[in-house]
Amino acid sequence: MSSTTTARFVRADGPDKVTGSGRYTADLTLTGALVAKFKYAEVSHARITRLDVTAARAIPGVFAVLTQDDVPDVRFGPFVQDRTLFARDVVRFEGEIVAAVAAIDVPTAQRALNAIVVEYTPLPVVNDIEAALAADAPLVHTDWAAYGAADVLVRDRNDASFASIAKGDVDQGMADADVVVHSRYVADGCHAAPIEPRAVVAQWEGNKVTIWTSTQVPFDARAGVCETLELPANRVRIIVPHLGGGFGGKCGFHYEAHVAALARATKRPVRLVFSRREEFLAPDRRREGIVFDLQTGVTRDGTITARKVWLAIDNGAYTADAGFFSQLAAMHALGPYQVPNALAEAHLVYTNHQPSGSVRAPTAPQTCWALESHTDEVAAAIGMDPVEFRLKNAVATGKEGPSGQVYDEIGLVDCIRAATDGAGYGQPLPDDEAIGVAIGWWPSFSVPSGAYVKIDGDGSGQIITGAQECGTGAVMTLRQLVADELGMQAEDFELVYQDTSVAPYDMGATGSQTLFNNGRAAVAAAGQIAEQLRNLAAEQLEANPADIVLADGAASVAGTPSRSVSIAELAGIAAGGELLIGHGSGAPPAPPEVVGATCVGDVGMAAWVAPQFSCHAVRVKLDRDTGVARVLAVSTAHDSGTIINPIGAQGQVEGAVLMGIGQALTEGTRYDDQANQRNAALLEYKLQTCADAPQIDIRFIEINTPDAGPRGAKGLAEAPNVPTPAAVSNALAKLVGAPIRQLPMTAERVWDALNDRSAS
Amino acid sequence: MSDQPASSTMVSITLNVNGVDYPVAVDQGRNLLSVIRTEVGLTGTKEGCDDCECGACMVLLDGQPVNSCSYLAAQAQGKAITTVEGLMDGQEMHPLQRNILEDGGVQCGFCTPGMLVSACALLERNPSPTEEEVRIGLSGNLCRCTGYAKIVTAVQRTAQELHP
Repeated sequence: MSSTTTARFVRADGPDKVTGSGRYTADLTLTGALVAKFKYAEVSHARITRLDVTAARAIPGVFAVLTQDDVPDVRFGPFVQDRTLFARDVVRFEGEIVAAVAAIDVPTAQRALNAIVVEYTPLPVVNDIEAALAADAPLVHTDWAAYGAADVLVRDRNDASFASIAKGDVDQGMADADVVVHSRYVADGCHAAPIEPRAVVAQWEGNKVTIWTSTQVPFDARAGVCETLELPANRVRIIVPHLGGGFGGKCGFHYEAHVAALARATKRPVRLVFSRREEFLAPDRRREGIVFDLQTGVTRDGTITARKVWLAIDNGAYTADAGFFSQLAAMHALGPYQVPNALAEAHLVYTNHQPSGSVRAPTAPQTCWALESHTDEVAAAIGMDPVEFRLKNAVATGKEGPSGQVYDEIGLVDCIRAATDGAGYGQPLPDDEAIGVAIGWWPSFSVPSGAYVKIDGDGSGQIITGAQECGTGAVMTLRQLVADELGMQAEDFELVYQDTSVAPYDMGATGSQTLFNNGRAAVAAAGQIAEQLRNLAAEQLEANPADIVLADGAASVAGTPSRSVSIAELAGIAAGGELLIGHGSGAPPAPPEVVGATCVGDVGMAAWVAPQFSCHAVRVKLDRDTGVARVLAVSTAHDSGTIINPIGAQGQVEGAVLMGIGQALTEGTRYDDQANQRNAALLEYKLQTCADAPQIDIRFIEINTPDAGPRGAKGLAEAPNVPTPAAVSNALAKLVGAPIRQLPMTAERVWDALNDRSAS
Repeated sequence: MSDQPASSTMVSITLNVNGVDYPVAVDQGRNLLSVIRTEVGLTGTKEGCDDCECGACMVLLDGQPVNSCSYLAAQAQGKAITTVEGLMDGQEMHPLQRNILEDGGVQCGFCTPGMLVSACALLERNPSPTEEEVRIGLSGNLCRCTGYAKIVTAVQRTAQELHP
């Protein structure tokens, strides 16, 4: 049931990374390159009454100053076309770009920024998610109704995407309950905070542009450049050097078009490198704050009769990729439970905050935190052990989930048993320690993806893939998959990746989808070469191609290993005739249809192909005098299907757990009353350090999942980020005697809860 | 191309990086990180925050770990500067480099150079650290990918190998 470690896996990009020879985007320089700098709004909502760049343009060493007047007048956005490259008339968050400068060096660029004249008339600031939904709330986008948008979205004023999931009769279900528990939780926004600040370098040659950029999604970045600068895809080449982490923060289309526009205007290469402060303030990929109202009806024997949830997500000033968050959050708020009567309503609400976007399992950790904290309240209300309550109500093989999907083979119940077993749940603990438990889930994203494989005349191979490596090692794993198909060694293959003009499409390092989809593509490409090799060998060995076995670097006749020819020799023969080239994509598994529930604003998130499940049990120690909590140990169990690269899989769990602890205890954006971030620096926004990290126990529940990726693999990069904050919360609630209702559960908030409680 | 404000105060200095002398003329306000990455031309050392918070820019000055983003280049004259590129012995990786790779302590790799330099300094001053000592020793180096577990394993394994 649990994973067994196979051969030691050393990542192919590792030597570059440990020796310092690996190049990241900010390490690149081109002859004649200029420095790019952005002029930001620095106010969260205002009308531009004057924008004058004349003086800035006149400074010697300034080669270009661009505004929205200098680029095609295109509104873009994957769900709602609500944004332009530069602010036009109105700025809607402090990190909005008003103008961009290309200059000979940083000081000159800075002088140019200072010389840009911008005058504003303040507009009312939308700083509160719930207030923004009021009928008389100021609008973030007065022209919202005129914007282009995906047809499925349900929009109304500041509500950019409303979604509901309804099943059964929730009122009757509540009436049938012995107890109804009603909870409110509020999660603050937080950041992906990769250690590499983003960078972009652009260079034009003729009418073609090459852009080196620190993106997780090169094809998305290309699409953004093409859309906003009105270029065909085949004249825009996106290359990603080594990528210094992303966690979703580098998904989407960001500054590639700004830098390309500067490079075109100046006829010089242009280089943009973000500071840490810009990394905090500007990108449209911040983890969204959410307000939750949760109700669950339950009978005395611990059966859920109904669940009703309402939630409002902070969209920020522009919609970016958050259009699907409402339905996704609705699913997470109903949770991986058997709920016969369910109603979830979710709003994606414009504010004057930095835009939200997909950060590692978007909406899930904070929604899981709210629901699972609520679930412990429900179990307590009927005097039931919270783990027993989950074992009774969790979705299981053959059971129906909250949206009506009936699950095939899944391992959630096994995850609950394994994680609680690993934590020693139920054993006596000191008075200042407690174990909290939470369960989570996450979809696999079934999408198109492509790869090529070729073997050259010397028998060495290359995998040329559109997939993007952001650190997880998913792309590195492709070597093993391809080698196994061909009876070769992973070391026989080099990877060519992260170049849109070289490789076929892939969605990128997003949605934990690389192995699931690009693994399928690479295996399909290798399969074509395997067929070529079998035909070649059959000719050489005078045998039937169907009898040829590829193993140990050779093709041999089944049952007669002495009749054999090396793959290198076959490659040499092929080099003089039909070349060994494979291409693959493979059909993505069809997503299940929603049956039994009614969905409004349906973006395909209410029924999941090959869903991933998890349970974390976290032991927390609390200093009641200060409110400081310390996570001592985390026991994790994951159903992510087959684990192909155990060391990489463990690394995903360990990293995600630590990120989850940060989200639980320290990581949260604070806004002032004008909607400006108050802690946009690593000194005030604390990531977990090596000294903070607890012991982490990792168990994989490997079950046979229908419609999974290669060899039964599902995704893993996001799933372990989902239940950690919730499990920390449930441990803290035991120690405090009440849940902490705001995330992050900082020492101050814990102390307040402890002292409110003492006072009452 | 400088990454920092220029002023009229240029100084000619010689920086010894990984055993090689680099004569450079830089503004006296320039930080060491920027000069290593531009004039010296070694980009293994990374900039993650320019605020002494992340440790990605860590180098050794006479064996002492220093965040080079917050250290003036001119002050480093006369000191032996070691960057990640200087950890190798010819074509041979330092045992820390090999072990962090084999143990899975590398994901995106952006913190890795600073982490390696930090670990090197740690093992230099404490050849047989406990796990707790490793964790405290590396707490000035932020890693967002790994959760640190495999990095700690690699450092402990290296200590074992070097001082069995």
